[in-house]
Amino acid sequence: MFDVAGLWQGFQLAFSPVNLLWCLIGCVLGTAVGVLPGLGPAATIALLLPISMKMGSPVTAIILMSGIFYGAMYGGSTTSILLKIPGEAASVVTCIDGYQMAKKGRAGAALGVAAIGSFVAGTIGLVGMTVMAPPLAEAALKFGPAEYFSLTVLGLLLATYLASDSPLKGLTMAIFGLLLGSIGLDPLSGAVRFDFGVADLQSNLDFVTLAMGLFGVGEILISLESSKAAGILTTTIKNVFPTLADLARSGWAMVRGGVIGFFVGILPGGGAVLSSLLSYAVEKKVSKHPEEFGQGAIEGVAGPESANNAAASSSFIPLLTLGIPGNASTAMIFAALLIHGITPGPFLIKEHADVFWGVVASMYIGNVMLLVLNLPLVGVWAQLLRVPYAFMAPLIMVLTLVGVYSVNNSVFDIWVMLVMGIFGYLARKLKFDLGPLLLAFVLGPIMERSLRQALLLSHGDFGIFFMRPISGALMGVAVVFVLYNLWAARKQKRQAPARAA
Amino acid sequence: MLRRIWTVLATVSTVLVAATTAVAAYPDKPIQLIVPYGAGGSTDVLARAFAQVAPKYVPQPVVVVNKTGGGGIPGRVDVARSKPDGYTVLFGWGSGEDLVVPHQRPLPYDLFKDFETVCRVSVHSIVLAVPAASPYKTLADLVKAGKSKDYLTASVSTKGASVDITFLLFGKAAGINVTTVPGSGGADAITKLVGGHVDFGGGHPSEVLPHIKAGRLRGLAVALEERDPSVPDIPTFRELGFDVVTAGSVKGIAVPKGTPKEVVAYLETKCKEVAADAEFQKIMKDIGQPVMYQGADEYSVWFKKAYDQYGGLYKSLGIETK
Repeated sequence: MFDVAGLWQGFQLAFSPVNLLWCLIGCVLGTAVGVLPGLGPAATIALLLPISMKMGSPVTAIILMSGIFYGAMYGGSTTSILLKIPGEAASVVTCIDGYQMAKKGRAGAALGVAAIGSFVAGTIGLVGMTVMAPPLAEAALKFGPAEYFSLTVLGLLLATYLASDSPLKGLTMAIFGLLLGSIGLDPLSGAVRFDFGVADLQSNLDFVTLAMGLFGVGEILISLESSKAAGILTTTIKNVFPTLADLARSGWAMVRGGVIGFFVGILPGGGAVLSSLLSYAVEKKVSKHPEEFGQGAIEGVAGPESANNAAASSSFIPLLTLGIPGNASTAMIFAALLIHGITPGPFLIKEHADVFWGVVASMYIGNVMLLVLNLPLVGVWAQLLRVPYAFMAPLIMVLTLVGVYSVNNSVFDIWVMLVMGIFGYLARKLKFDLGPLLLAFVLGPIMERSLRQALLLSHGDFGIFFMRPISGALMGVAVVFVLYNLWAARKQKRQAPARAA
Repeated sequence: MLRRIWTVLATVSTVLVAATTAVAAYPDKPIQLIVPYGAGGSTDVLARAFAQVAPKYVPQPVVVVNKTGGGGIPGRVDVARSKPDGYTVLFGWGSGEDLVVPHQRPLPYDLFKDFETVCRVSVHSIVLAVPAASPYKTLADLVKAGKSKDYLTASVSTKGASVDITFLLFGKAAGINVTTVPGSGGADAITKLVGGHVDFGGGHPSEVLPHIKAGRLRGLAVALEERDPSVPDIPTFRELGFDVVTAGSVKGIAVPKGTPKEVVAYLETKCKEVAADAEFQKIMKDIGQPVMYQGADEYSVWFKKAYDQYGGLYKSLGIETK
């Protein structure tokens, strides 16, 4: 089924001192980039492109770059858990239960489980990639506009229902997120929309700007209300590391997250985001304690964090086997390969077996390195929460300001962030959850594009969403999901007055 | 009064000194190549290949900076408003945003008054392709199918861009209905095409060539006057009897208007040297982009012609303009 000799050769290559060193550098840089807001993995890889050109072997260059990419996935959860600032879209869901855990003094457990889950799922993704990369890539091609639309509809529904206590409030926020996502260039015609004559609004708003405003600045404003200069912690840190009970509870969540992430991550586009959402939904559904979700359920961290890491591994499949980069970071790696004279695509495994297997093998090694790197860091990060908030708040503020500015070097983005911060504060006062807003903002453009593309293909016939097997099945799940929730809500309503009487 | 004279003198001398040193020492700091598109796209890859070879000829580093977003416009605004000293250089001059978009909507700069053309590096022609599993073996098959169906679908990178216009033009020339399905860029369009979600599609050789080599796509026609050297086996539309010729997407270099003549001439010479470099040509061959160098004068004329051609196509195709 797969090329054992190839993998063996890959490990020999990856274990050479030079490649090990660059793999380590990539992982360290990736973790740092993931933890710091702003500068993302794609931008970091871009900065390192000139250096990589000077490297003798393309394998070494790609080992470094992929290390940054999946390393950032490890780091991305840190700020979500500690500060409720999602470093990337795939970590928005982690904010929900991760931050609650941190507030209860269990930041260490959350961080530890995220790191271990990332390792487990990253490895699941790699094994999947080793064994069945080419046929899976073919299957991903079957996803056309209709399928994407149905998948994003389902994703958005999940986001609305799961990331919020009240479906109505969740829906309100999701719609607001869709509106924010439609500012700027129309995804199909390139016409400018909703710019109100402001030149800076002609380009679309940035995810980082929104996330830092809504979550980061919003949280600081909320904290200003409490007169006590307390830390984020309301209790003392009990265990810095996850206990055996934690691991037992989250073990299957990691595996499930890994499998979901692996399959959904193959899809170009919002693969990682959707997989984290799906994983959260699945965990809430199968859990014996669904009521704990939103209050600091460890599975709510383990599942999605595993899913987004597996998705990071599997997003290499379409890149290396089809020559189709699915996200900004793999697009950079695509460019690097091209400049080294290697065309990613169906011939890569045959013509450049050393590159394919060398990179795959280095990812196995990198995952171990990241686990070893990150577990001791868990203790350090958890201690960070002991710092009184009076010191933390200004620090977070400075970090978010620098982070947002660094994305596009734009002062306008800083203003957007501050406005979003005030909005985030008000929304939280009124008990509106911000997760659905941010997720809708990310998924909205994909959703709109695929909807309009599908309708162009069918000349306006909505049947295209229901007649095609994959799309029809996804739509069916979405409809059942809505009906089930409506039914459950009615049942609850009927029972409530009865109990009151 | 004396003071005023003194100020004037001081100003004049500073300007003079600044001007002479700027010219004499150029380049004495890194040159930024502004790519107004995302990293990893065809223009970016080309710019990075250029920047990699440039140090052989230029004493200062040549750095690629991606100014993304806004459909490539903000990056151009940045260059147009930057100091005309030759350190901020636009890479991608002649792309759809320059030849096509101005016919669609007003832009925050004047194409012919705010930029100074330096040279042309490459032309990305437009290749029409079908999935390998498609029943259409030739362009004639495709046209025949188009006549018997209500419409054919075609995936294109973005609406109103060169690929879109070329396929609409093809539909008109062949007398068939073509519904173009725009996406979020070249990669998106090619993915849909390879997945078989449309009847036909296409893009630049660098985008379709890997898939043609892999036997996933079949190239049927190229929309240039003569065959594209990067895909010499694919006939032109003209050879096949359809008058479909467009300039494609052109990758040239420009600087802000007002850049000293010596600096422009210097850049032009260096570009010519890079374009003729064996290593550069090898990279370009690998990435499926032809080296098609033209100097400032020649390219300026060619640019205006291509610009007018697209303007004419917009009118004749009746594409909505805003």
